[in-house]
Amino acid sequence: MKINQSINMSTRFRVLSEDQIEEIFFAALEVLERTGGVIYHEEALELFKNSNAVVRDKKVRIPASMVEEALNFYPRKITLKGRNGKRSLQLQKDTVGFGTGSDLPFTYDRKTGERRRTLYNDVRNAGKLVDALPNYDFFMSHGIVGDAPNTQTYDRHQFLAMLEQCTKPMVVTSVDGEGLEDLWRMGCVLQGGEEEFRLNPLFVAYIEPISPLKNDRTAVEKLLFAAEKKIPAMYTPCPSSGATAPATMAGMLVQSLAETLLAVVLCHLKNPGMPLIMGGVTTVLDMKKSTYSYGAPELSLASAANTDISKWLNLIMFSTGGCTDSKVLDEQAAAEQMMNLFYAYLSGANLIHDVGYIDHGTNASLESLVMNEEMMGMVRAFGKGINTDDEHMALDLIEKQGPGGEYVTTDHTFEHWQEWYRPTLQDRSDYETWKNNGSKTMIDRVNERTQHLLDTYEADPIKDDQWKELKKIVDDADKRHA
Amino acid sequence: MSFDLGKISETLVTGKVDDLKTLTGQALETDIKPGDILNQGLLPGMDTVSQRWKAGDMFMPEVLRCAKAMGGAMEVLRPHLSESELGNAGTIVIGTVAGDLHDIGKDLAAMMFEGAGYNVINIGIDQPNEAFVKAVKEHKPNVLGMSALLTTTMPRMGEVINSLKEAGIRDQVAVILGGAPVTEEFAKEIGADLYAPNAGSAVEITKEYLESKV
Ligand code: B1M
Repeated sequence: MKINQSINMSTRFRVLSEDQIEEIFFAALEVLERTGGVIYHEEALELFKNSNAVVRDKKVRIPASMVEEALNFYPRKITLKGRNGKRSLQLQKDTVGFGTGSDLPFTYDRKTGERRRTLYNDVRNAGKLVDALPNYDFFMSHGIVGDAPNTQTYDRHQFLAMLEQCTKPMVVTSVDGEGLEDLWRMGCVLQGGEEEFRLNPLFVAYIEPISPLKNDRTAVEKLLFAAEKKIPAMYTPCPSSGATAPATMAGMLVQSLAETLLAVVLCHLKNPGMPLIMGGVTTVLDMKKSTYSYGAPELSLASAANTDISKWLNLIMFSTGGCTDSKVLDEQAAAEQMMNLFYAYLSGANLIHDVGYIDHGTNASLESLVMNEEMMGMVRAFGKGINTDDEHMALDLIEKQGPGGEYVTTDHTFEHWQEWYRPTLQDRSDYETWKNNGSKTMIDRVNERTQHLLDTYEADPIKDDQWKELKKIVDDADKRHA
Repeated sequence: MSFDLGKISETLVTGKVDDLKTLTGQALETDIKPGDILNQGLLPGMDTVSQRWKAGDMFMPEVLRCAKAMGGAMEVLRPHLSESELGNAGTIVIGTVAGDLHDIGKDLAAMMFEGAGYNVINIGIDQPNEAFVKAVKEHKPNVLGMSALLTTTMPRMGEVINSLKEAGIRDQVAVILGGAPVTEEFAKEIGADLYAPNAGSAVEITKEYLESKV
């Protein structure tokens, strides 16, 4: 045994130094004291009025002490449990889970190849793939249920579509506070009641401020409901650098942290100890095409930095990766998705969402979900780092096989090659074999695998009586909004 | 005193806000007609900007800086222009529909229209259907622009068009739609006149349309 050793059990990566993080944190506190944020919600304004914050009309300015106090009350660990009863997703420092994004308006039809509106069945199919593919840890709807009977209740229908073929934990979007309440009631049906849901939440609620520093009524409504019921929720800014946030990464991080910290204080005022999660899709507005970029390297850089900040604050982090601006699943898609997947993983964010997005967050692609499965596998294999214990240093083996020896037949190889990553879609064959197998490209193989999974995979069904209860909640909502 | 209107165009293209204001003021002190300052100085400058933007030689911040310069110059010039001289571009009422809080795309479009010399009335986000109708009645624009970023709020656009019809003012305005989930097909379906896939093209599409109607 040796002393004074330090061993990397995994790779290590960070963007910001501790001093830089502190600078950003202090700057965000300064923003809350000096600039403040506006809130379009009466109860929230009341909560601030009855505190040490300063409220002028709809603008709230918050002293640093309130932020520092509130920060002490958030859980550093949340465990999500899927509807299959498995507590499968541990959210705590440096554990990484991958999942899809939500609500994409369009889909390429697999039969016609045409771009069309996303429908209930597309969401269901995305759920099936997420359930079937082991590198996905959680599910967001991927697409939006465009054929829901009512736009005011589409979120309930979307949740049904998500649940049908997917047993994994979820992140859900909702129309408003009432919508979130229905989704939560549906979740309680599956988890066995309100108390069980609190210990074993099925989902995290997705909520967003409006950058810069604006908080609209529906978002705050959801946030306060989540705080009341202690539903895990994220308040995830979506600033576009250069348009709704400063054009500098540091400035964007300061502003979005201020937006997060406002929610940190608000939720604390409402109900201390609610499981709030930090988030952010921190990227740039493309200045040539005027689009919100999902493939820019700045997205990866700012997101990884944001994760550094979240760890320093002891907050669980929702981040972004596996997404692209490319209109189709092509070379650009692969390059961008791999890059932002890779750095999001290395940064140690806890929920990495938007995996599979194409066309800067407007188009759904089941093939993209399948292709990302391979890339997530590769990234995870890299993150394992290098073991340098005696067994892995293999000194005896090197001596035994000696100069000119071979390793293919050794027990050591038989045992340890299994630690390597084994591709399922990458082609590493020789030219002749590849040619004889039909000269298939990555996209060809992705297509085949997608079709195969759609044809053969079935998730564990929801029990009949539970399904009926879920349907009733949805039907009631439709009636209320008819 | 001779005054080079080309200088106005050039200064506009470099986006120097204060310089352009000063130059416009100086031009007004000469015997050049205000209409000529607009048509031979400012608008050719904006044309160059939009061509360069289209060719990919100029970027959003640069274009918007030019638009800002144009806006500043128009502040100086507008009081000196007659109705008919102003009439070239016209007025646009623009907003995001009810239930929808996305504003940046709509704002970019508004800035582009402003840059092209339009009088822009930006009514904001989350605007109820009636607010669009009211603004059209009040400001009598020749263009109404609506933005929606959500599948769930797109139906509001059709409703506004119907309300315009009911109010008997549908024919007074060209209706243009934009926003990520909106498509050309959808715009046709609900009886809009125009659809712009991005803010840059919105102005041009509108201009072509208005010219074709004359
Ligand atoms: C009149 O003439 C014209 C002419 C051209 C016009 C025009 C008008 N309007 C637009 N154009 C066109 O020109 C512009 C420039 O070229 C373009 O405008 P865009 O606005 O498209 O482009 C901007 C310059 C850059 N693009 C953007 O700024 C939008 C980017 C994305 C990521 C986006 C953002 C940033 C936001 N969002 Co929202 N958001 C998304 C967007 C995904 C996407 N890629 O579109 C989208 C639109 N959002 C979505 C959703 C679901 C939501 N969002 C919500 C909220 C927000 C933020 C507030 C966080 C933020 C907006 C901040 C702001 N100040 O605007 C929520 C709704 C809030 C509400 N009631 O409106 C919420 C419902 C999420 C939730 N459940 O809470 C999705 C829509 C899904 C659907 N099918 O309907 C979405 C596609 C992302 C996704 N995949 O989930 C063209 O469309």
